[in-house]
Amino acid sequence: MVLSVFTGCEKEFLERPPLDTLVDANFFKSDDQVLAASAPLYSVVWKDYADQAYFQLGDLRAGTLFRAYNDRDNTLFNTSDVSASNNSAYRAFYIVVGQANTLIQNVNTYAGPEVSVAIKNHAIAEARFMRATAYTFLVMNYGAVPLIENNIALLNDKDLTRNTVESVWEFITRDYLFAAANLPENPVQPGRITKWSAEGMLARTYLNRAGVGSSGGTKNQEYLDKAKDYAQRVITMSGAALLPDYADLFRYPYDNNVESLFELQWVFTTNYGYANTMVSQITYSNDIANGDGWGGDLGGSYWMMSLYDGLIEDGFTNDDRLKATFMLPGFHYPEITQTVRDNEGNESEQELIFPAPATTADNSFVNVKKYVVGKAVDVGGQASAQRYPNDTYMLRLAEMYLIYAEAEIGNNESTSDAKALEYFNTVHTRAGLPPIEGSLRMDRVYNPDPTKYRDDIFEERAKEFAVEGLAWYDLVRLHYYNPQKAYDIINNQDRGLFVVHPNRMPSPTSWEFIKTEDFTERTANANSGNFELPIPAAEASQAPNLRNEPVPYDFGE
Amino acid sequence: MNMKYMYRYKDYFMRDFKWKLAPVLLALLLVQSFCSFAQTTNTISGRVTSAADNIGLPGVSIGVRGTTTGAITDAEGNFTLQAAADAVLVVSYIGFKSQEVPVNGQSQISISLATDEKQLEEVVVTGYGELRRNDLTGAQTTISSEAINKTVNTTIEQAIQGRAAGVYVTQNTGAPGGGISVNIRGVNSINGSNEPLYVIDGVQIQGSTSSSGSNPLSTLNPSDIESMEVLQGPSATAVYGSRATNGVVLITTKRGKAGETRINYSYLYSLQTPPNELEVMNLRQYAQMDNEYKGIAGGTVREDFLDPSLLGDGTDWQKELFKSAPMNKHQLSVSGGGEKTTYYLSAEYLNQEGIAIGSGFDRYSVRLNLDSKAKEWLTINGNFNFAQTDEQLSTTQSNIISRSIQLPPHIPVRNLNGSYGGGTVTSTNTAEQFTPPNPIGLANLTTNDLTRRQFLGGLTLGFHIIEGLDFSTSVNGNVNFSNSTYFLPTYQFGYQRNEVATLNNTNGLNTYWNWNQMLQYQKQFGKHSLNIMATHESQESTWKNLYGERRGFQTNDILDLNAGDVLTSVANGGQGDWGMESYLGRINYNFGDRYIIQAAFRADGSVNFGPENRWGYFPSLSAAWRVSEEDFFNVGFVSDLRLRYEIGLTGNQGQGGAIYGTLAPGPTPWGTGFIPNTYPNPEFQWEETKTNNFGINLGLFDNRVQVEADYYIKNTDNLILRSSLPWYMGTNGQGAISPPLVNVGSLQNKGWSFTLNTINIDNGGFRWESNFNISHFKTELTSLTSESSILNRTTREWREWTQRSIVGQAPWLFYGYVEEGLFQSVEELESSALPADNNGVEYPIAENSIWVGDVKYKDINGDGIINGDDQTFIGNPWPKYYAGFTNTFSYKGFDLSVLITSTLGNDIYNYLRSENTNPNNINLGRNLFVDAFNYANVAYNDDDPDHLRPYLTNPGTNVARMSGGNKNNNFERHTDKFVEDGSFVRLKNVTLNYNLPTSLLQKLRYIKGARVGVSAQNVATITGYTGYDPEVGSHVGGLENPNSAAIGVDYGRYPLTSVYSVNIGIDF
Repeated sequence: MVLSVFTGCEKEFLERPPLDTLVDANFFKSDDQVLAASAPLYSVVWKDYADQAYFQLGDLRAGTLFRAYNDRDNTLFNTSDVSASNNSAYRAFYIVVGQANTLIQNVNTYAGPEVSVAIKNHAIAEARFMRATAYTFLVMNYGAVPLIENNIALLNDKDLTRNTVESVWEFITRDYLFAAANLPENPVQPGRITKWSAEGMLARTYLNRAGVGSSGGTKNQEYLDKAKDYAQRVITMSGAALLPDYADLFRYPYDNNVESLFELQWVFTTNYGYANTMVSQITYSNDIANGDGWGGDLGGSYWMMSLYDGLIEDGFTNDDRLKATFMLPGFHYPEITQTVRDNEGNESEQELIFPAPATTADNSFVNVKKYVVGKAVDVGGQASAQRYPNDTYMLRLAEMYLIYAEAEIGNNESTSDAKALEYFNTVHTRAGLPPIEGSLRMDRVYNPDPTKYRDDIFEERAKEFAVEGLAWYDLVRLHYYNPQKAYDIINNQDRGLFVVHPNRMPSPTSWEFIKTEDFTERTANANSGNFELPIPAAEASQAPNLRNEPVPYDFGE
Repeated sequence: MNMKYMYRYKDYFMRDFKWKLAPVLLALLLVQSFCSFAQTTNTISGRVTSAADNIGLPGVSIGVRGTTTGAITDAEGNFTLQAAADAVLVVSYIGFKSQEVPVNGQSQISISLATDEKQLEEVVVTGYGELRRNDLTGAQTTISSEAINKTVNTTIEQAIQGRAAGVYVTQNTGAPGGGISVNIRGVNSINGSNEPLYVIDGVQIQGSTSSSGSNPLSTLNPSDIESMEVLQGPSATAVYGSRATNGVVLITTKRGKAGETRINYSYLYSLQTPPNELEVMNLRQYAQMDNEYKGIAGGTVREDFLDPSLLGDGTDWQKELFKSAPMNKHQLSVSGGGEKTTYYLSAEYLNQEGIAIGSGFDRYSVRLNLDSKAKEWLTINGNFNFAQTDEQLSTTQSNIISRSIQLPPHIPVRNLNGSYGGGTVTSTNTAEQFTPPNPIGLANLTTNDLTRRQFLGGLTLGFHIIEGLDFSTSVNGNVNFSNSTYFLPTYQFGYQRNEVATLNNTNGLNTYWNWNQMLQYQKQFGKHSLNIMATHESQESTWKNLYGERRGFQTNDILDLNAGDVLTSVANGGQGDWGMESYLGRINYNFGDRYIIQAAFRADGSVNFGPENRWGYFPSLSAAWRVSEEDFFNVGFVSDLRLRYEIGLTGNQGQGGAIYGTLAPGPTPWGTGFIPNTYPNPEFQWEETKTNNFGINLGLFDNRVQVEADYYIKNTDNLILRSSLPWYMGTNGQGAISPPLVNVGSLQNKGWSFTLNTINIDNGGFRWESNFNISHFKTELTSLTSESSILNRTTREWREWTQRSIVGQAPWLFYGYVEEGLFQSVEELESSALPADNNGVEYPIAENSIWVGDVKYKDINGDGIINGDDQTFIGNPWPKYYAGFTNTFSYKGFDLSVLITSTLGNDIYNYLRSENTNPNNINLGRNLFVDAFNYANVAYNDDDPDHLRPYLTNPGTNVARMSGGNKNNNFERHTDKFVEDGSFVRLKNVTLNYNLPTSLLQKLRYIKGARVGVSAQNVATITGYTGYDPEVGSHVGGLENPNSAAIGVDYGRYPLTSVYSVNIGIDF
């Protein structure tokens, strides 16, 4: 009798779904739920990339940023199979792939009849967009990598092998095409990607792809035309516009402004994965932060400084982007609060004036301003250590103008096409610079002598997008069709320590840049053997199949 | 193991199984029920003594035949009763032959009881019942309260160490009340938890290691324990079915005995001493090192370091952190009762300060155990335990220990103005922005308290239906309430500061209940003895957490969420439940005390599995042959010879929820988003272990020498593991979907254990006994679902430090490179394998690339270059042998006990050394071990201006050169250089107790007995390990899931240190 008490209700007693968490099979039942399931694709899944690898790979390796004591591997172009940035980037990109794939599976499996077809497709398009973006980073950093469409089906498969670079680019293109076809022209919620985000990515994709597998340095003209076409469509049809003041791109609050096409959507939250933590990594000091600020030895490289018109030679530049990107001694930023101390050590707060090194100092740093938003008081209380609300750009309209110009130059070394010049100058003049007249040059052969060599587009992009994690990928694109020039650029960059002395404090009008004499590690050595990142050692040893020759991907056609 | 179990019978008087006790019980009942007519009575007093040693026997029942009159002897064996002059006294006592003594008109009677060899046989508790030790067919080990009392134990698992063969105990943290790993018979399961199931008076608690370092069993008072039974063999464990693969520890608490009320008070005072310091640089050395670094890597020499010889020693951070710390324990117990009802009541207060600032442990506990024979057919047993523990956990959770090793000596603990010291950053000296925050300041200012309140208890009703047939039902429960407070205040330690104070509060409530119904039948006919048991059991547990956080406190004084900024409020929840239903049947058959067979079958239905895999079935069979009882066996000096064999199936049901694909919430600009956080595995099923066990028991010379040996082979299939997938599956990192729990393969575990108990000398009051036990196990992964599979357990925060499992090897071996010294010359570089670029081209041999003074890695695969393929297995965290050796000497009132424990053949990865011998880390504003000073010093001769022929001025060193961007990754790769032999022999405990003689105490009217004792614990250790302490268990500190915590790695673990104690005990 007693024994039967529980057998009668055994099923209930032994059937216990989780009490504190949703289960996939019960979710995806309404449009709102499906959108709630795609929302994290804009932040947490990118976390391990956005926290540090974003600038470690995208800028330190490219030579736009310099770091003196940390990240020496990336600074000296020695990123290895055990480098932390390599590990975290590789993992993060595949986290994006895995979450995107699983979202597609879940929507297809669990979405009920209450979910509209438009929203189902929207979520799948978002997932494919994110997946394509992750694969773009993967293929450009690592070359051939495994393509995955359904993680759940592969959970017991350890025999996956790499797919060819061409396959990966085809895969990326198809994903973006699907996204462009299925995303709306206007975002369903502010900050969500649109058709124009996808077309902008297609412009970038075709420009990159044009050089893939190019023999004899000739890029694929069909792809160049497509790049131009998509760039122009976004410029003319998307409704996006450049902000008049470049500095406003990074003055809080700037999220989802009219120039933005795709950005990572962080929020001020105690949930580490969903808040912007890159700010903590790049902010130069706790004096302008919230108990964090670990980028004291991180700043613009000497080479980067040399790109700003007149800066090294004349001591100053008219390029507005310098002050919006890096801090020179004496630069004044009213939007950021700074803790300062008097001789007795008493603290007070003031508007940030970037301090000057001691007159005897032989090294200092041109620390990062971009994305640095200051103390909690500067962002309406929306910040604390490792918790910042500001977004990370992934695609801005300005890039469309420069893509158009680069694609127009195409397989030539210059162009005087009026449209290309107009577009280029739209970006160039916004920075407070006079327009370039006549022609745009992209010399095929690098020469360290600036009177003999110009690459207007590459250098414009470096200045426009410094600290936005893009410069490295510009070099990868170049490397596809002209590897020697990519090596030459890198190997001729000064990646060493230097000091910046203002002519006076406060309110300096010119600055002197002096290389630190006893600092010997000034140049990197790029070559075919270290240009791509090695697959992380931990990954290679647990997935030995990754060493096999890559194979073309079977698109099932 | 030859402890005096005879005293224990009343503890289990009314518990589940009483086949051996029933006749005694019945005899008493019969005596009482045949009431007689009244007669003139006289007062009779007397004393009952043991015939063997003439010592008074307490608690002896004396009945007057044919009446209900009776008495129980007091602590000295004295009794008084009323009886007629011609009455007959019936004197009975377990372990002795009953006697009938005619009064014959005497008023003073001395009774001397002879021991009854039959009854003396020990009765031991086993799963769902109890057995005579001689009836045991399975391997199990007993640890008695006497053994427990000999060491200073703040938590119960500590008492097991060194006392039971087959049980490998390591303390994960030496922090007060800290967590312990208990490993019974090797590695049975490949997922992190190899912890046994604990059954405390019927309450089943799954052992677990906790990432916080606090111990789930630390609410129990070790002084309340009567005995611990470690069930090891399959026939004993299989009755616990799906939770028993890792073995079972049965804990039985003390119960009252009929007779005079006994009051015992004891007090223990211990002094714990600081560890021996690790050798870090003093200020002169540090300044010298900093200057040398700048000479090599560039940078401005600090003005205050210009002449290191002028400097003093600087701050000794370890000395500042560690101190001698006291521990106090008060223990009071009252027990007694009448024939129908007995009780045991105890109360404890334990207060332990940690040897490191910011750690401590307090416990208050009360226990009441009640036993009542309410009716002839009804027994009631109850046990109730309430305990509260207060823990301070700052030291464990904030890396305080590793930080205090890393803080540079020029930083003062406190500045002149009283504020805590910290790093300073100037434009020429930026290194100290990376200096860890002042650990002393942090430990003092941070509040990290955990309070737990636990109610544990149960009620059992036993019904005697007809002779031989009994039914009992019990309800056991466990309610735990925990409350943690973590407050990180604002602070400024020089450059290191925290501007926003944060307070976290977590409340947790978990409940467990278990309802058991059991029917048992026993019958003796002729030489046949039969015992049949059937049980149904259901159990359920639930937990619920509530977490609150606020930031921005205006002061550091009010530790309440209300005092924080309401706009920063965070609230989180969390809850879950678990349930299991089980049926169990068991038959035990004994023929003539020679042949014993036991068969059992259990079925478990668990919520952890989908409908198809829900029920698991666990049969077991065992047999014992007592050869020494055979008529033909006639070897005089062999007093006992028993052969045992057992086979059985046990299980592991892993974690719950594996069959569900769960979604985690996260804040987004568009409201809460939901993202998959675990892949589901609807096919998830039991892990099952099949064990074959061969055992022998041998007693020689009237059991003065007892040998017990077991050999076992365990085959585990369907190993449960959180799948380890390549990173391309996106299962690793922030926002990742955790891999599913899967059944990945099989492993085999072979081992043996050997115990030797001897009475070496028993002569004229001097007695010397020894217990020696030694065990060995070897675990090998025998298959994985995919043959090429590799299982990695990687700690990302430690430069991808990895433990790896592959088929054919023991699980979780350390994985890394092998060092072959440092490069001494360019020629050696040219002839050696070097790291290479993606094209397989070796990096250039140059000062800014790979150079003399760099580490020479072994080219394991012989392909001429160094890369990830040159990693191999570099260490094994599992011991080959572990042993305990106890010697007890007693003479008159003196009792000396010496315990030695030892572990041999395990490796430790000394991560702390790998971090702190990296000379480049001086540029992170950190102090280093003195060894780092001997970094490879590259030099050139005067006739070598182009630096073509570098050499080392210190060619013997194994610390690579200092260099910034190094292509050889000298200090990034994990190598065998940091793998150390963790073997040790430790004088674990020496205790000397003295029982004050009765003659002395007779003058003190109320005091019946008194003891004083002194002891020393962790007195001396012989080891080659260079860290604080070789007893390194699982890593704690919140880096990883406790179920996959790194094993055998030392990163500033809280050490065990010497403890000196005095105690007194008084019986009233």
